[in-house]
Amino acid sequence: MATVAYRNIVKSYGAVRVMEDLSLDIADGEFAVLLGPSGCGKTTLLRMTAGLETVTGGDLLIDGARMNEVHPRDRDIAMVFQNYALYPTMPVWENIGFSLEVRKLPKAEIRKKVEAAAAVLNLTDYLDRYPRELSGGQRQRVAMGRAMVREAKVFLFDEPLSNLDAKLRAQMRMEIRQLHDRLETTTIYVTHDQIEAMTMADKIVLMKGGRIEQVGTPDDLFDAPASLYAADFIGTPAINLIEGAVVDGAFKSAGIHLPLPPGTAATAGQRVTAGLRPSDMTLGAAGSITGRVVLAEKTGVEQNVHLDIGGADFVVTAPRDVSVRPDETVQADIPPQKIHLFDSASGARL
Amino acid sequence: MPAVTSAKAVFSSDHPLPWLFPLIAMLVVFTIYPLIYNIWLSFHEYAPFRRELEYVGTDNWVALWNDERFWGSLSVTLTYFVVVLIIELVLGMAIALLLDADLAGFGVMRGLLTLTLVIPPAITGMMFLLIQDAEFGVLTWVLEQVGVLDGTAPILSTPSTALLGVMLADIWQWTPFMVLIFLAGLRGLPGEPYEAAMLDGASGWQIFRRITLPQLSKVIAIAVLLRGIDLFRMFDYVFVMTSGGPGTATYTLSLYAWQQTFSFIKWGYGATISLVSLVLILVIANLFIWIAKVRW
Repeated sequence: MATVAYRNIVKSYGAVRVMEDLSLDIADGEFAVLLGPSGCGKTTLLRMTAGLETVTGGDLLIDGARMNEVHPRDRDIAMVFQNYALYPTMPVWENIGFSLEVRKLPKAEIRKKVEAAAAVLNLTDYLDRYPRELSGGQRQRVAMGRAMVREAKVFLFDEPLSNLDAKLRAQMRMEIRQLHDRLETTTIYVTHDQIEAMTMADKIVLMKGGRIEQVGTPDDLFDAPASLYAADFIGTPAINLIEGAVVDGAFKSAGIHLPLPPGTAATAGQRVTAGLRPSDMTLGAAGSITGRVVLAEKTGVEQNVHLDIGGADFVVTAPRDVSVRPDETVQADIPPQKIHLFDSASGARL
Repeated sequence: MPAVTSAKAVFSSDHPLPWLFPLIAMLVVFTIYPLIYNIWLSFHEYAPFRRELEYVGTDNWVALWNDERFWGSLSVTLTYFVVVLIIELVLGMAIALLLDADLAGFGVMRGLLTLTLVIPPAITGMMFLLIQDAEFGVLTWVLEQVGVLDGTAPILSTPSTALLGVMLADIWQWTPFMVLIFLAGLRGLPGEPYEAAMLDGASGWQIFRRITLPQLSKVIAIAVLLRGIDLFRMFDYVFVMTSGGPGTATYTLSLYAWQQTFSFIKWGYGATISLVSLVLILVIANLFIWIAKVRW
């Protein structure tokens, strides 16, 4: 177990600077998720941590020791790759035990550790198979087993579930998190899937264009997004964003009048964007928002009702037993403290 | 029209034979017939005075078994085969790994590698004959300067070194072929297992032995198969450089078969030697194919 710290990290490819002055602390035993869209720099940061990419500037510290120039093999880090990166010519047990073999551990001890990891990962019956003879989920587990037997200081995961189907992804999410809870190894996990981040992380690091947009717990990012970008990225269905202005102490937009959330720093006349989470809203006979029902998407446990408000699509999550019909006019409401207000120009939370 | 319909029906994918006919015809004319004729020939011998082939039963096969020169040629061929193959394999792999590093200028070097392959082997033989000439050969001069040769035993005229001299031409010409094949194999390997191995703590040698080499096993098997077959029937270099000499020090099976067939007009005996070569090549080739059938 170890702490990982990034101090003013800079990364350039030739003349192109892709990361500028990035600083972050990951605590001992923490499960940190680097979240963001493609090209935001999350995988680059992970690969720099592993030593697979050079650090152009700044300091990368593991347990307080500077790692910038340390060879990957000497960093005591285990990594699970997006495409698993299994050794195709080795059967499962050799794949898992390779790191122990190169450290010249006795064969009996290697076998013992491999079998223990395989038992945890339900791979005992597959130890003599080759990677090409395994399913995606089994390969994923072998990759995790390879990391487990290392007993490394830090585990790195690079979008490990992106090649799996939805059901297996949900199962593996749980398994990875349980594995972390059991081993308590500091873990850095890269994903573009906000559901993975929300369900697994102790700490989410939301990235955009090579810099950190917001760091916090999943609840922090959901309940108090620091910016329009953070608000829009987190949450399914996505947050409803409405542009308007602060007029007479309230938020006003075409057809919508909302009270300002308590403690907001918005000033009169300021152009602002209101963010309303579909799950924070209720449909009813009375409300501050009026719209025409376009579609009701049933998800099983609930339904997402799409409203047309002045030509804009607006989603409200409602219990599945609420009856709505297309073209029906309905009212929606939201408690003032659940309204997120952002400056339209800067995107910053007000 | 019915005729058109019938031609269409015959040349459809439902009837493979018409499509296979040209290939089958070529195989019959250029491979199967010569093979059968060769087998038939090995039980006959040319009688120069009567100017005809006469049946001799198993005489050629018995004579071959008792022919010291045949066993000598076989020994030379096997020595040449093993030594050259190992050197070309190791050297080819080493150069391929080096060129795979993609340093400045390596692209040009990869292109230059193909040059040796377009030179006819007979010309290469002439080049190395001159390079190793006892009086003005560059290699002879260099080896004399460093004290390896003392001027009394020219490379190609000394029984103990003549075969090495011939091998040099082969290695120079065909190592680039190995390099190109291995380089293509190396370029096709996925990068992530290497990164994983680095993080697993493997050294460069461990990565090569446990990751690279097993993944290249099929490529290596094909390269060894192609070169192995060529080496086993090697003729050009010894024909041009030594004519099998000094004595019989560089007599390969191919050269011996050629000598028996065309110099001594012993067509049946030459055919018998060729058949033994063929069987040996088939055995060795199948051995490589069997080794290459890795499970992964």
